[in-house]
Amino acid sequence: MANPNNKKALETQKLKLPFGIPGHNLTEIEREAAADEPPALPINEKLSVVGQRVKRVDALQKVTGAAKYTADIQLPGMLYGWFLHSPYPHARIKSLDVSAARKYPGVFGVIVQGHEAEQKDSFGGNELPLLRYAGQPVAAVAAESVAIAKEAVRLIRAEYEPMPFVVQLDEARKPGAPLVYEETIEDKGNAGDVGVKAADEQKGNLRGPTTRSFAGGPRGDMEKGFAEADVIVEQEYRTQVQTHCCLETHGLLADWKQDMLTVYASTQSTKDVRDELAELFALPTSKVRVITEFMGGGFGSKFGPGYMGVAATWLSKLSGRPVKLMLGREAEQISAGNRPNSHQFLKVGAKKDGTLTAVSLLSYGTAGIGLGAGVGRVAQDMYVCPNFKMEQYDVFTHAGPGAAFRAPGNVQGAFAMESLIDELAEKLDMDPLALRDKIDASEIRGVQRKQGAEKFGWKRKKAGSDPGPVKRGIGVAQATWPRFVEMDSSVMVRINKGGSVEVMSGVQDIGTGTKTILAQVVAEELGLKAEDITVKIGDTTYPDALGSGGSMTAEAITPAGRNAAYQARLKFASHLAAAWGVDAETIEMKNGEVLSSSDASKKMTFAEATKHMPTSQVLATASRSANYNGFESGQWLGHGRLGAVQFAEVSVDTETGFVKVERVVAAHSCGRPINPMQVESQINGGVIMGVGYALYEDRIMDLNTGHHINTGLDTYKLPHAREIPQIETHIIEHYDAHSSTDASGIGEPANIATAAAIANAVYNAIGVRIYELPITPQKVLAALGSI
Amino acid sequence: MNRFEYVQAPSVKEAIDMMNSTVPEALIKKATSPAYVVKAGGTDLLDLIKEGLVEPARLIDLSKIPGLDKLTYDNKAGLQFGPLVTIAGLENSEEVKKNYRALHESAAHAATPQLRNMATMGGNLMQRPRCWYFRSSEHKCRKKGGFTCYAQIGQNQYHGIFNTNVCPCVHPSSLATALLAFDGQVELTGPQGRRIVPLSEFFLSSEENVTQETVAESKEIITNIILPPVDASTRSAFVKMGQRESYDWSIADVAVVLKMDGKRCRDARIVFGAASSVPLRREDAEALLKGKPVTEKLAMEAATKAVEGATPLKHNGYKVKLFENLTKRVIMQAVAVG
Amino acid sequence: MKNPSEEQRSMQEEKGVSRRAFLRGAGLTTAGTVALSTGLLSFKLESPVKPPAVLGPGEVAVRFVLNGQEREIWVEPRTTLAQALREHLSLTGTKVVCDRGSCSACTVWLDGKPVNSCMALAVDVAGREITTVEGLSQSGTLHPVQEAFIEHDATMCGFCTPGMVMSCAALLNRNPNPSLEDVKSATSGNLCRCGTYPKVFEATLAAAKKMKK
Repeated sequence: MANPNNKKALETQKLKLPFGIPGHNLTEIEREAAADEPPALPINEKLSVVGQRVKRVDALQKVTGAAKYTADIQLPGMLYGWFLHSPYPHARIKSLDVSAARKYPGVFGVIVQGHEAEQKDSFGGNELPLLRYAGQPVAAVAAESVAIAKEAVRLIRAEYEPMPFVVQLDEARKPGAPLVYEETIEDKGNAGDVGVKAADEQKGNLRGPTTRSFAGGPRGDMEKGFAEADVIVEQEYRTQVQTHCCLETHGLLADWKQDMLTVYASTQSTKDVRDELAELFALPTSKVRVITEFMGGGFGSKFGPGYMGVAATWLSKLSGRPVKLMLGREAEQISAGNRPNSHQFLKVGAKKDGTLTAVSLLSYGTAGIGLGAGVGRVAQDMYVCPNFKMEQYDVFTHAGPGAAFRAPGNVQGAFAMESLIDELAEKLDMDPLALRDKIDASEIRGVQRKQGAEKFGWKRKKAGSDPGPVKRGIGVAQATWPRFVEMDSSVMVRINKGGSVEVMSGVQDIGTGTKTILAQVVAEELGLKAEDITVKIGDTTYPDALGSGGSMTAEAITPAGRNAAYQARLKFASHLAAAWGVDAETIEMKNGEVLSSSDASKKMTFAEATKHMPTSQVLATASRSANYNGFESGQWLGHGRLGAVQFAEVSVDTETGFVKVERVVAAHSCGRPINPMQVESQINGGVIMGVGYALYEDRIMDLNTGHHINTGLDTYKLPHAREIPQIETHIIEHYDAHSSTDASGIGEPANIATAAAIANAVYNAIGVRIYELPITPQKVLAALGSI
Repeated sequence: MNRFEYVQAPSVKEAIDMMNSTVPEALIKKATSPAYVVKAGGTDLLDLIKEGLVEPARLIDLSKIPGLDKLTYDNKAGLQFGPLVTIAGLENSEEVKKNYRALHESAAHAATPQLRNMATMGGNLMQRPRCWYFRSSEHKCRKKGGFTCYAQIGQNQYHGIFNTNVCPCVHPSSLATALLAFDGQVELTGPQGRRIVPLSEFFLSSEENVTQETVAESKEIITNIILPPVDASTRSAFVKMGQRESYDWSIADVAVVLKMDGKRCRDARIVFGAASSVPLRREDAEALLKGKPVTEKLAMEAATKAVEGATPLKHNGYKVKLFENLTKRVIMQAVAVG
Repeated sequence: MKNPSEEQRSMQEEKGVSRRAFLRGAGLTTAGTVALSTGLLSFKLESPVKPPAVLGPGEVAVRFVLNGQEREIWVEPRTTLAQALREHLSLTGTKVVCDRGSCSACTVWLDGKPVNSCMALAVDVAGREITTVEGLSQSGTLHPVQEAFIEHDATMCGFCTPGMVMSCAALLNRNPNPSLEDVKSATSGNLCRCGTYPKVFEATLAAAKKMKK
């Protein structure tokens, strides 16, 4: 992605911005920024709205049930869609007859995947795509109700020719395994930039190896590195396939009208949905409107319209009626994405003082029929080590496609790397924190380790030394995540006569609190309260903004919001200055009032002051400008790292193998926290998802039939209330002078370290290490030698 | 769900008149004749219908039949409760809490608060197993009249460890574990009238009949559940372990009912849930306890005896150890209850 | 959803399934039944005078009290209460996530007790009282649990929120002085994927305190 703001601003200004960590090393730094950037924002304690625990602006709608999600929207004449899914993991369709479904009363549209425009009754085998996983969509029906659509789907007659299949990572990479693809497939942009590249080789079901990530490629001399090591630790790790389990399933409601395609989408990116549908249906983007007012969870899996969205749009186009197509739960679990599993061989060499001399990683992972199973960035990037090499392989299997999932690659990678560092510390007879002090160059993580350890009361006893059958243990692990930014993010702010203020953007709030932080930055700029701001987002009618992913949203959208508010404020102030006969620069806005610092008689409420505007509205649109000088990359990848350190305490019942996470202390930073309460919620969410990954969640495939068999939310086990540890968040303000708000996201770093911290705590409790997730009673009992 | 008719049965007699199949029968004969089946809370039946495993032509709703939701306790007659008593009703009964501790515990750890408010005890005893192959419409397993057991050759980490030859499904009710430990009985009412069946005979193992889990006939419904009275010497305990403490199916549950003369055990009943296709009494282990003072050592011996003869499958060997350790614990808990 | 055509209605009348007949069936106050005793329990073994009405499979009338108001809807017997609320009554606060009773997003109160509306048939609740999340805050006043959820940031994406709110408010109805364990127990069936649990616990305990004042 090119940076649209990359051209050098004609005029620049020098800004003195807060830099560093308050209470630690806070100072100021001078940066060159565009002349129209707002003045430097002081640190949070000097602000009245930004940095405050402001209530979520849309919470009222959520607690009363008034919030309308895509799944809730009903339009007049609306039809409901349902899919026929493949019953086989690998099969040719010999013939397909949809005539009975077409004729079924209440049915208004039937489409066959890949042949949507062909409204025929029957299809021959040579026309139809090969089926590559059980649950793959074959055809879709639109009918007056979901019940009728399901009945019609059952009337579709399909004849299949089942073929040999492979659903297991280890089996799929053996020579002679049934092939998922005969030909090298196109790399369709593996979300999260993990794993294979277009140029990588594909041999059998193996694609790769990939030796680079955006953090770079191999470095140094491996042989020399390991030769210099006093200690070498080498282990094999495995992680499971994790499914996103969005509470609102994937889907959208398409309303195709001659002049406009309107789409209500449960998506993380209104813009992507619009652009993809416009391209697929050869429409100008101006004729596609995508609306996402509320959405029930995405976690990386909801960019673009997806197969269900494309089908809904086709069915709407063909039937002339609005069509809502939300996946059923089973299809959601199977076909809407997952975190690929991994099998990692990690080897680390170190000197006696802990200095790392070499890190090498070989990894395999399957994203089913998709790509993106790389895990190497943590090993590559977290610690200082001159010699590094990785080989990452994607392995195709006949299973549902992977998708970006909250810190793609890093969650898997951190489990291995942070488990191994723990083991290395023990080998070196060092405290795990002391070892990290030695090998971790990150300043922010250093502060997090220190403050986090104090809060946690870090004192590790000898592994497995608790008496009695139930043993306690503690562990620590770290996270790294790049501080990305997406420059193509714009916001409009509108000040209305009468004093109301609107902020508008295409950006969506996926539950992270984007609406609220936008209200906060705008309110801060205009001297108002967050609740005075009406936030209208999640609609491509408004200025374009980024998809919510990569923990980029706060980083990208809050500067755009502040900048737009600043520009609107300048216009408003100039009108007022003219009316009052004062210099515009003397106008201040605070506490809901507007005043001139040069004339004490000029003071009135904000609402009152808007009456002096010559037009009914003053508005301004602004974008996220390039990172302040010294950071501008010209790419969407910004500079910097988001670190995190998490501490976990567990109890392990050695008679039953039952593990309980008792307590987690999570020390994090995300630049300037705009709303600490929401940041806490995000961290809680990351930790809890990490608890699920560590102990419970596991997609289970039947090896004989190739079916995903735990698609229910009773058998795919997620943490519920009693699985929630006592979570203490510790947020460290960290000013880096990146932008006009200097905020960053937190979603991903919150999820990376948890499972490793838990695994290390389990080791400390029982004295035996578990190298495979999830850590089930079965694995604990096996590790203890009880079975 | 398929379209079906719905009738509210005003009385047991009419329900029996109208019904023509048990749910297991309806599943097997799905395609051949219209099934008229009864429902109470509906939480299991709707699940089966939603999966397309059962497609009844008519549901006969029992939930409004007066009198079937009573629970009484009497020193002589024991505990009696109707099939419409909900799990929550049992959980919240002071009589149960006081006299049948293991039963109370099993009720309190079943499903979710919402489901406990809906699910009835009759339905709980009649519910179908939770095996993921049985519950999948894509797998025509033996329990569905097919010829393959996918669990034996597939993913069986949660399946049975005893009598796994035909179908290693485990009985889904952890309440049944406690009820059998208390030597419960079920009253079935059919066209010929009522019959009392001890729970030990009520459940059919998969060896006895793989396609249905109880002796209830096509036109029979549970009309009463009876537990013998307890006395001052009765001690009981129950423990359930799932992968999670919140809502989860049991990996292993154990109920123990002891009659104690001081420290000496006069009589013992030990029952395993989630171990086999029926709640499983461990009589050899019980015998070890009888007539002896119950010490930790004896409890462990009994526990080891209790898992003798287990025939675990590929992925569930851990359950043997789990049952052994839990059994020891539950025996000691029962003794400690005092 | 539209009401059935007059034609369908008259078909039902012919089958003896008039709305009136149904509602009487639902109430089960039909005279002529005799209670028999078996053991200590008694139930009706005898037949009422009229045979019970067979309803459906087409749409039938169901009347119940919804958020304090008597409502009547026409639904097929296979319609779940969750579907009836969402699709027939446009009360979409009640969410469907798993549709199997495993997530409790669809929690409503049936005669004051939390139940899964996805696992109940609409016809099952004839004559009974249903409270949905929309009914919790009637006439503009929020329930203290709702207020506390806002105050303590107990919502994220919000999809589990209505179910959580209904579970927590029901807890405070029956236990005004809950412990953290009680809150966990009451919400043990409610699935949240965003991770609002800690704030849900905090909010519910705070609401309990506030209600006692």
